[in-house]
Amino acid sequence: MAEVAEAKRNFLEYSGPKPGVKYPISVLYCGECGVPVEYCEFYPTYEKCKAWLEKNLPDEFEKLKVDKTPTVVVASGEDDGAAAETKEEEGEKKKRQTRGGKAIMKAKKKIEPQGIKMWTQTRGKKKKVTIIVGLASYEIDLKEASKFFAGKFSCGSSISGEDEIVVQGDVKDELFDILPEKWKIIDEDDIDDCGEKK
Amino acid sequence: MFKKFDDKENVGNTNIAKSSVQKGIRNQILDQFQHIEDYLDQIMPKKEPLKLVKCTEHIELLSNQAGEVLFFRQREGLLYPSLRLLHKYPFILPHMQVDKGAIRFVLSGANIMCPGLTSPGARMTNVDKDQIVAIMAEGKQHALAVGLTKMPTEEILSKNKGVGVDNIHFLNDGLWLMKPIK
Repeated sequence: MAEVAEAKRNFLEYSGPKPGVKYPISVLYCGECGVPVEYCEFYPTYEKCKAWLEKNLPDEFEKLKVDKTPTVVVASGEDDGAAAETKEEEGEKKKRQTRGGKAIMKAKKKIEPQGIKMWTQTRGKKKKVTIIVGLASYEIDLKEASKFFAGKFSCGSSISGEDEIVVQGDVKDELFDILPEKWKIIDEDDIDDCGEKK
Repeated sequence: MFKKFDDKENVGNTNIAKSSVQKGIRNQILDQFQHIEDYLDQIMPKKEPLKLVKCTEHIELLSNQAGEVLFFRQREGLLYPSLRLLHKYPFILPHMQVDKGAIRFVLSGANIMCPGLTSPGARMTNVDKDQIVAIMAEGKQHALAVGLTKMPTEEILSKNKGVGVDNIHFLNDGLWLMKPIK
């Protein structure tokens, strides 16, 4: 305890902005997991993060390598006994993880775009509505999309379910042209025409 | 607070703050964070309206016109800066540095325990109870969480047991992952 107390004396100070630093500081966020690059190693996607960094910011990646290499050299340079020890250590680490519950939250799965389906339904005797399913998987805001359709076709458009938009009138043909034009990520081949449903 | 926070489920409607409300918030910010004064206009231009977003559990988010969350509070209480803001202006909060071993746990939302703050790798700022602090980490440059101290620094040192700092908002929690507010 005395040791701890001794090591402790240098408190940090709550001082204002550091002179010579220009605020706001621009922080480098990882494109894969979204956290500052230095914290990537604590997430399960670390391998992917490294790949991302190598591809997009080779300079930063080099820095990371320089930090890491000395430890690697030391580990491989030691004899078998030490290697076994490190293995044991690893085993312990794993154990601790399971005991303390999940140590790290799983990264949220990204929904892969599954293509867009659309079909028409008959309302009344001679009127039709178009139903579009699958826009949300392209990370398109349904509310925005529905408003856009309403304006474009000057008709009623509503969100009728989790990932479903109902547009009044038969507008399937127009949608084939308009969807890829408005949202670049949609390819015309992704759109699937399911004809008419009841 | 934001461990199980979801964009769709927990966020209510958005309002634009009245100028009197905005003035009140500005004053509260100046009150709470002593070093922010010179930069407040940069963070929150006077002319620009402020968005208030109501969320569940009486949480209220303050965001700028671009939809970036700047501050948040619960039940009209203390204002906490968001991590993205803190990364840009790290001086607005006193820093508490935890040791390397604690990082994993903090990143999954654990409160900061005293031993993680008193070990050789850690450093503290001398603060009172119920003070908002930035959680930094040994060997890292940026903050990884925003916390609220549960006991004064001296008590953390003497007791060295139990929760020292409550974890309010951490990297990759619900608030961090939120998309810009419309």
